[in-house]
Amino acid sequence: MKTSFIKYFFRQALTNISDNRTAHLLGVGTIAIAFLIFNSFILAYVNINHWADEMGKSLTMTIYFKGQPQEIEVEELKSELINIQGVTINKFVSKEEAIRSLAKELGDKEGFLKGLNENPLPASLEIVFLKADREDPLPYNIKKRLEKMDIVDEVHYSEEWAGKIEAIMGAIKLIGSVLGGLLFLATLFIITNTIKLTVFARENEIEILRLVGATNVFIKAPFLIEGSIQGLLGGLLALIMLLAGYVTVMIRADFKIGFASLDIVFISPHIAVFLLLMSMIIGLLGSSIALGRFFKA
Amino acid sequence: MVFGMIKLFNVYKNFGPKNPAIVDLSLNIEKGEFVFITGPSGAGKTTLLKIIFCSERPTSGNALVNGININRIKEKQLAFLRRKIGVVFQDFKLLPNRTVFNNVSLCLEISGVQYPIIRKKVHQTLRQLGLSKKERYYPPQLSGGEQQRVAIARAIINNPSILLADEPTGNLDPEITIEIMALLEEIHQRGTTVLVATHSQELLKDTEKKIVTLNKGRIVK
Repeated sequence: MKTSFIKYFFRQALTNISDNRTAHLLGVGTIAIAFLIFNSFILAYVNINHWADEMGKSLTMTIYFKGQPQEIEVEELKSELINIQGVTINKFVSKEEAIRSLAKELGDKEGFLKGLNENPLPASLEIVFLKADREDPLPYNIKKRLEKMDIVDEVHYSEEWAGKIEAIMGAIKLIGSVLGGLLFLATLFIITNTIKLTVFARENEIEILRLVGATNVFIKAPFLIEGSIQGLLGGLLALIMLLAGYVTVMIRADFKIGFASLDIVFISPHIAVFLLLMSMIIGLLGSSIALGRFFKA
Repeated sequence: MVFGMIKLFNVYKNFGPKNPAIVDLSLNIEKGEFVFITGPSGAGKTTLLKIIFCSERPTSGNALVNGININRIKEKQLAFLRRKIGVVFQDFKLLPNRTVFNNVSLCLEISGVQYPIIRKKVHQTLRQLGLSKKERYYPPQLSGGEQQRVAIARAIINNPSILLADEPTGNLDPEITIEIMALLEEIHQRGTTVLVATHSQELLKDTEKKIVTLNKGRIVK
């Protein structure tokens, strides 16, 4: 295509946007809100996936003992575990250490613990599985074996969290897909109607362009660019709002599961580019539908 | 050999069953001719121009324009044919939100002409029509005569083979009318086939040009 055409199409598209500023601003705002909701789901999904991956990287298992175990019993267990390939011992926490650690966590509210007649916290041993993945049956088998031991009360391992997280991810995927589909349709509807308004406002101009010999492609191209720009701006605004929200939340909040802090990540540049492209494609599609109806009429 | 620029064979055009606009009209206009189409209001002058311009298709009969059968013309071909036909409308059909320059340059832009050439040709045409000082004006800021000259500038900038003018002097005072007719004559002298639809008997007085008189859609003279 000739560069003079491309220049003309962009100049016309920008003129159209400038002439219908209010309609376009409203359109961009509404698209941005729709995309913000959708992007929030993407962000939640990305983070939960990230946490699940992080947990998978260093699978930890905590063995809680019944009462206070004998040192020899703990040492025996440690040496048994250390002989299993891929397992390392992280630390043994005695009942006393456990209550001291809890008191430290409670800070000012430490006084609550003073009313207790005896230390309710169990002694524990924490082990780590290096390079374990979620499909590896080893941690589960070890857990089953440990639970049968007399000195062991309970065994928890982070994979159980990962399992729960996978269930949440599944739910988010489902809600995100349904909502994403609805938002896609809503965004398409908004863009179609905004472009339709500008097309009808320029009906006279289109008629004159036809009379002087303009092809349909020549007439349609600026409107298609206009829709794409509108979609892109809406998508960009949604990303900026999401980033602003993310920064605000990161400054003010400290997310925890139990006592472990959670690392919240923003969507990757690849996903951001994908979302922008998607918003542009929706814009293009919306204006193409609007023009299709007009040119048919 | 003289080339038939516009040929119509037994053309009918109906707008509804009881509303014939053109009835069994056959016409042959040669290349380089200057023809007046005249008749009272509702005689079918505008419809005839619209058929030549492919803005309306004949209900029956055949029409060849610049060698192309307009009954079988495709959308893209139609756009290219229209670039060879300049049209001056009675209501000017200028874009009010574009300057005089941009209204005239439109016909070159749709053909993909490079901007430096567009600038040169538009300046040249506007100068020729005495509109050099008005190129940054918008149509609503111009008088009727000036708007008509802009419409003529737009119609001739592509050096069309055919120029159609529908009541080009309909809303203009006598002095401007003479000026516009002199312009159309000048364009004709360059070899363009010119068709002027008018109901004004004043324009036809003392003319030696070919006159086609219509009444109720039929050629009466």
